[in-house]
Amino acid sequence: MLRKLTPYLFVLPLLGFMAVFTYYPILQSVNLSFREWDFMSPTKPWVGLDNYRLLLTTRDFWNSLKVTAVFALISVPLRLALALAVASFLIRETAVSRISRGAIFLPAVTSTVSIAVVFSWVFSTDYGAINGFIALLGFDKVPWMQDPQLALYVIIFVNTWKQLGYDVIIYTAGLQAISMEYYDAAAVDGGRRFHVFRRVTFPLVMPTTYFLLVISVIDAFQVFTIVDVMTRGGPAGATDMIVNMLYRVGFTLFDIGTGSALAVLLFILLIALALVKARVIGRRVHYDS
Amino acid sequence: MDRKLTRVAGMGLAALLGSTSLAAAEVTVEFWHSFGGSSGDALAEIIANFEEANPGITIEAEHVGNYNDIVARLQAAIPAGRGPDAVIMEVTRYGLFADRGVLMDLTDYLEADPLKDELFDFAREVGVYEGKNYIVPFNSSTPVTYVNKNIFERAGLPENTPLTTYDEILAAAQKIQGALGDEGIYGIAAPGQFARWGLIMDNDSDLIDSVSGEVLIDAPNTVEAYEWMASLVHEHGVASADNVTDEKTGREAFFAGKVGIMLNSTGDYRQSQASLGDDLIVRPLPCNKVCAAPIGGAGIGILSTADAEVQDAAYEFISFAASAESNAIWFAGTGYMPINRNTADQPLAAETLENEPGIRVSIEQLDVARGRPRPPVVTWMRATEYDMWQAMALGQRDVEDTLADFAKRTRVEAGRVGQ
Repeated sequence: MLRKLTPYLFVLPLLGFMAVFTYYPILQSVNLSFREWDFMSPTKPWVGLDNYRLLLTTRDFWNSLKVTAVFALISVPLRLALALAVASFLIRETAVSRISRGAIFLPAVTSTVSIAVVFSWVFSTDYGAINGFIALLGFDKVPWMQDPQLALYVIIFVNTWKQLGYDVIIYTAGLQAISMEYYDAAAVDGGRRFHVFRRVTFPLVMPTTYFLLVISVIDAFQVFTIVDVMTRGGPAGATDMIVNMLYRVGFTLFDIGTGSALAVLLFILLIALALVKARVIGRRVHYDS
Repeated sequence: MDRKLTRVAGMGLAALLGSTSLAAAEVTVEFWHSFGGSSGDALAEIIANFEEANPGITIEAEHVGNYNDIVARLQAAIPAGRGPDAVIMEVTRYGLFADRGVLMDLTDYLEADPLKDELFDFAREVGVYEGKNYIVPFNSSTPVTYVNKNIFERAGLPENTPLTTYDEILAAAQKIQGALGDEGIYGIAAPGQFARWGLIMDNDSDLIDSVSGEVLIDAPNTVEAYEWMASLVHEHGVASADNVTDEKTGREAFFAGKVGIMLNSTGDYRQSQASLGDDLIVRPLPCNKVCAAPIGGAGIGILSTADAEVQDAAYEFISFAASAESNAIWFAGTGYMPINRNTADQPLAAETLENEPGIRVSIEQLDVARGRPRPPVVTWMRATEYDMWQAMALGQRDVEDTLADFAKRTRVEAGRVGQ
């Protein structure tokens, strides 16, 4: 009996930890999403679906959903394509490759707040380094953070710069796991470089791509710090991502119920996206090369 | 032997009781505040003086961040029952906390305190919500007009150039921009939210009526004020768009000698003076239609959840911090306005007033200064105003339409959170 129980006893502490710090807060969030609460009132009256109704009829919610979707649609493919290209370029184990991979990885372990503050200066319209350079070339200043279109691209650029190193390292590991026999066989068949990449490398690195896709989509829907530091969702809502709105509603406007409803909607959206990805792409991923 | 034992036991008991009563007299007040740098130093001096004068009370002060950070941390701390005993709260945003019973009513404390008669009327008023006192002001300020004399001279503007009306300010900013724009110098810093509120009041309006609670965001004079402020950025180009998306950049540019005029809090006086030295001139806020200035800053409140003896100790500290002696230290060290009528009689404050004419401006402006409304909806309104301002100042939305929409949403929100 004890032997049967032993494995469960080993995982019990971890399960307990997760129950207290992960599952209970999730359940509590769901509960709060049906209530009205400003974190100060002693009572939390039940309001049913009112918070969800309020959200779904608010312009801000649809705007933040649109902004987040655009962000994800641009930043995820960009991250993956750039990372695969860089990893393929740095795949050889030379000193230069190793140093370059380390350098590219550095932003991933640097404080996001610091990165966002530095890029705020870099992209400042009047005093920023980029516009300083542009002015030297005789062109007009570009309102990077004031133009609603450009501000979102700036956020995408900074986020990509920050995350690229992590993606490159994962891709490098994936590429290095591909047996050289496939490349030798392709070379014997006279395959050209692009075709070898398309027919050998890309399919065999698919498990890594799938993993990074799942991670980067979740990242994209949860991006917050860069936005909060650089634009606070502005100008005029142009970079107001879902989590930014969640923070504003819950922690600036004291509407915990609506903030929780937004968190629940985000959770459902991410689950739905994960299922779609599993159905559309997951089936094409082959783990046994 | 027995007598000896009894004596020793008696001495032990006495020592035990003594230590117990001593321990009982020791009270620690956890105090969250928002002051770093020179302001933090001035506060530390006041706390040290208080602890010296009150050996039984320890003030455990913690610099939590800015006003927003304090509110965010309170949100987590209050439901968890881990809030502080006393806390600094911004003067327009404590209403919600008073309304929900988080802050205790200090009326009885203040009524019994001679401090009540020492406080300036404005200082008394900003702590009152729904007829009761919930905070005692600590750092009070109004916006003033800061001028860089060197930039004025280089632009060919005399030091006493009139800056009373919107037109006069715009004319001066345009002259600076025309003369020094190529050097990356701007005429004026785009006004931050505190200054925007002041400029609206100077145009004989407000965002919310202080007395009736009526939303005035779409009132004609408010619209006119916003149209002028927005035009500084997107129409006349005399203020940097950077200041709109990141308000602190306007202040930083002024400190760096890159802006001719800045409307900002008296709390920025020390930093302005340190940055510009003799080139700093301080003038009152403009009086476009009327002369008026909003009272800003914060006061100290006590949480209702604190133990009774801690609440008493916390009030002792609040009263001490607002005394003339402490207020003189604060005023001289930071540039925030005196809140106590007797502060000016203190040698330190008198010396500061004598040697620094710039600091007198805010005091002279007190005649037209008034507290701002503080119903619960103000928190929502202030948070939302930033987005509205950005849209207007960057020329992305029409001012009148934006304010009509903003006013409508504010009225709905006011109904929701309860006026």
